[in-house]
Amino acid sequence: MIGFLARRLLSALPVLLVVSLVSFVIIAIVPGDVTAEIAGADSTEAQRAEIRERLGLDKPMVEQALRWYGRLLQGDLGQSYLLNRPVTEAVLERLPVTLSLAGLALVMAVALGVLLGILAAIRHGTWLDQGSMSLALFGLSIPDFWFGLILIVVFSVQLGWLPTGGYVPASESIVGWARSMTLPALALAITQMGVVARMTRASMLEVMGEDYIRTARAKGMRRHVVIFKHALRNALIPIVTVVGVMTGVLLGGAVVIESVFSLPGVGRLIIGAIQRRDYPIIQGGLLITAATFVFVNILVDLAYGWLDPRVRNDG
Amino acid sequence: MLRTSRLRLIRRAFLAAAAGAFIGLSAWTAMAQTAGGDLVFVQNSNPPSLDAMVTTSQASRNITMNMYETLFGFSEDIRPIPILAKSVDISPDGKTYRIPLREGVKFHNGKEMKAEDVKASLDRYKKVGGTQTMLAPVESIDVTGPYEVTLRLSEPTPTFMESFASPRAPAVIIPAEEAAKEPNKISFIGTGPYKFVEYVPDSHVKLERFKDYVPNEDYKDIDGFGGKKTAYLDTITFRVIPEAGAAVAALETGEVQVLEQIPVPTARRLASNPDIKTYENMPWAFLTFIMNMKAAPTDNVKFREAVALALNDEEVMAIATEGLFNLYHGWMYEGSTYDAGDIGKEFYNVHDAERAKALLKEAGYNGEPFSLLTDSNIPEHGKAAVVIAEQLKAVGINAVVNQVDWPTALKIRLQDSGWNGWTLAMGIEPYLGPAALISTLTGAAPHFRANDPELDALYKELITTDGVDGRKAVFAKIQKRLYEFFGIVKVGETGLMQAARANVQGFKPFRFPRLYNVWLEKK
Repeated sequence: MIGFLARRLLSALPVLLVVSLVSFVIIAIVPGDVTAEIAGADSTEAQRAEIRERLGLDKPMVEQALRWYGRLLQGDLGQSYLLNRPVTEAVLERLPVTLSLAGLALVMAVALGVLLGILAAIRHGTWLDQGSMSLALFGLSIPDFWFGLILIVVFSVQLGWLPTGGYVPASESIVGWARSMTLPALALAITQMGVVARMTRASMLEVMGEDYIRTARAKGMRRHVVIFKHALRNALIPIVTVVGVMTGVLLGGAVVIESVFSLPGVGRLIIGAIQRRDYPIIQGGLLITAATFVFVNILVDLAYGWLDPRVRNDG
Repeated sequence: MLRTSRLRLIRRAFLAAAAGAFIGLSAWTAMAQTAGGDLVFVQNSNPPSLDAMVTTSQASRNITMNMYETLFGFSEDIRPIPILAKSVDISPDGKTYRIPLREGVKFHNGKEMKAEDVKASLDRYKKVGGTQTMLAPVESIDVTGPYEVTLRLSEPTPTFMESFASPRAPAVIIPAEEAAKEPNKISFIGTGPYKFVEYVPDSHVKLERFKDYVPNEDYKDIDGFGGKKTAYLDTITFRVIPEAGAAVAALETGEVQVLEQIPVPTARRLASNPDIKTYENMPWAFLTFIMNMKAAPTDNVKFREAVALALNDEEVMAIATEGLFNLYHGWMYEGSTYDAGDIGKEFYNVHDAERAKALLKEAGYNGEPFSLLTDSNIPEHGKAAVVIAEQLKAVGINAVVNQVDWPTALKIRLQDSGWNGWTLAMGIEPYLGPAALISTLTGAAPHFRANDPELDALYKELITTDGVDGRKAVFAKIQKRLYEFFGIVKVGETGLMQAARANVQGFKPFRFPRLYNVWLEKK
């Protein structure tokens, strides 16, 4: 188990290296720099050159990259040019917002998706199947930011049940946190809910046709035990695979949803940094987000072992 | 059995209460905010800094001008008036400015503002101020009394008071000990009616009423950036909501009370809502079209004139602003002090394709590409560029739109090549007056890249001419010159559509939201 974990962690390193290299190259290609932002509207070229020198932006890209990696090895992601604080601190402060948004969306997508998928599979060919799959298709097809705005109009403006946006930390109020997160998470979850529902249905239909399910039924086992204990557990394996990939999609989608619901998350931090060319924040933010994605996928691999003893034995 | 039902009842009651707490809180919060005197103001971007003197950003000014004050500021009719200063005494040679200060003014940390604080603040501005050129003529700043500072200028600068009162990157007064700190490293302590509580980037900035605020009793009411300010609200929260639709929804629910800007079509929809009032903050900015005088084909004055004559400014403005605009040829707002009347009117909004084509022929234009630089961050820029490109194509100009993000546009427009036309909304410059506006078109890096020697000479004359009448005459010559070499085209004037809940009283649209002297009507 520990050996498996160590191997997976080691194999994550090249992924993170590629992510950071790609972001370095993109930053190098994009025109414009942070000096005009720091020096002000009336700054002269000489003032901007001085800032470029102070920040080391006048050095060749390779040298800048090597310095950055050197500091990274000491656990230092550098200092933001514009926020006057360390990058790690700025990103980690935002991480709870983005993780709770993506996490809650993941829970909603899986819970609703699996439920719809099971319903469709056990009532295969009926109106319930068609209804569930239409709903899943609807979820898959609508843009999440549009759905977010519709949720705001319905649940905030018309019904007045939930706030239109803003973030309440869970440490301040659990109810406040749940209220501030419900609509954004639902908006973010809707597309993935569709994916999960369709996969669950297909997977369940396949499993339900297996011999062991027929045997279980034949020996008089109760229907819900057959469905939930035998069929679902086996049908879940492909869904768990999707969860790993979904985390990446949800973290990416969070950028848009954070803007619609004015949530101070990592996505908006990175977007703001891109707009103002705050390179250390872009680099650090992307690296930490990518690390989160990789870490979740390692957890997914571990979950396989729990669900499927064959994988455990291989590991 | 009885026990089970009772348990069930209790559980139901608990669930109902929990659900009520969950969904009913929104209405409760809105009521509490109104009753508690907490006003929420929405803007669409973060303030890059709350160190007021280092930034020229509108998003910062919206907030900082409620927290800090300057020695002088503009009145409603854009004259410099004293705010923290009592008055100004200018020596006959125009080089010494003796400035007595108001006494008894308190900083948010409880300390009284004295001459040392003023000197330290202005010294800091000379080093880190966002528009340092404002204090460039100042040779020395001396403390000449506990409540008096004296500025000595290297040469007489008749426009000094106008530029010193500028709110662009305001020369605010902060405690001397804070003034020793680097940009953005200060504690946010000012003398204004509201004091800083917290800043959560991408979320909000919160201010609270400064109980020891000393209003300027020389006035009866607010006047521009100064006057008698009264803080009625307990707290003000500036919320950052980037998505316009979500901001409007928050206003409709009553979660927030004032929106800095709403889309014009939304204002039409809200007109029938009795809970919401809309405000036209007009005029707000000039929408301009700048040409690169160093790159072909725009290095040819005949070609540039052809571009100016080809434009249907009304069409550009109507589409770019979604309907909130004003057409005026003048390079100062109509009816303002320096308005130069009809000069240049014959070249404005003419959309004369035949004359434009004749001029293109005269210029020897052969279908070279015309690169039209614009950005996606400011919607008016991008929309105007698309319409302008179509109008130029209609007269035979090979216009190609190059839409990039704002930092990239700023980088490209500083190059002598790679662009021919650039759409730019000038917000604060036309408001500040002729010197601020024309300074962007002269000097080391004029917007249109190449210097126009005649305009440079007129600018010099403008800033060295004493007296408003003299400067008005110079500005008339400047306006005439701008319509001769066509380095920049004024397309029109844009406005800012704003909205507030109906119970927000005393809100008067201005260059920043003056949230002092605003109160919430109790129901």
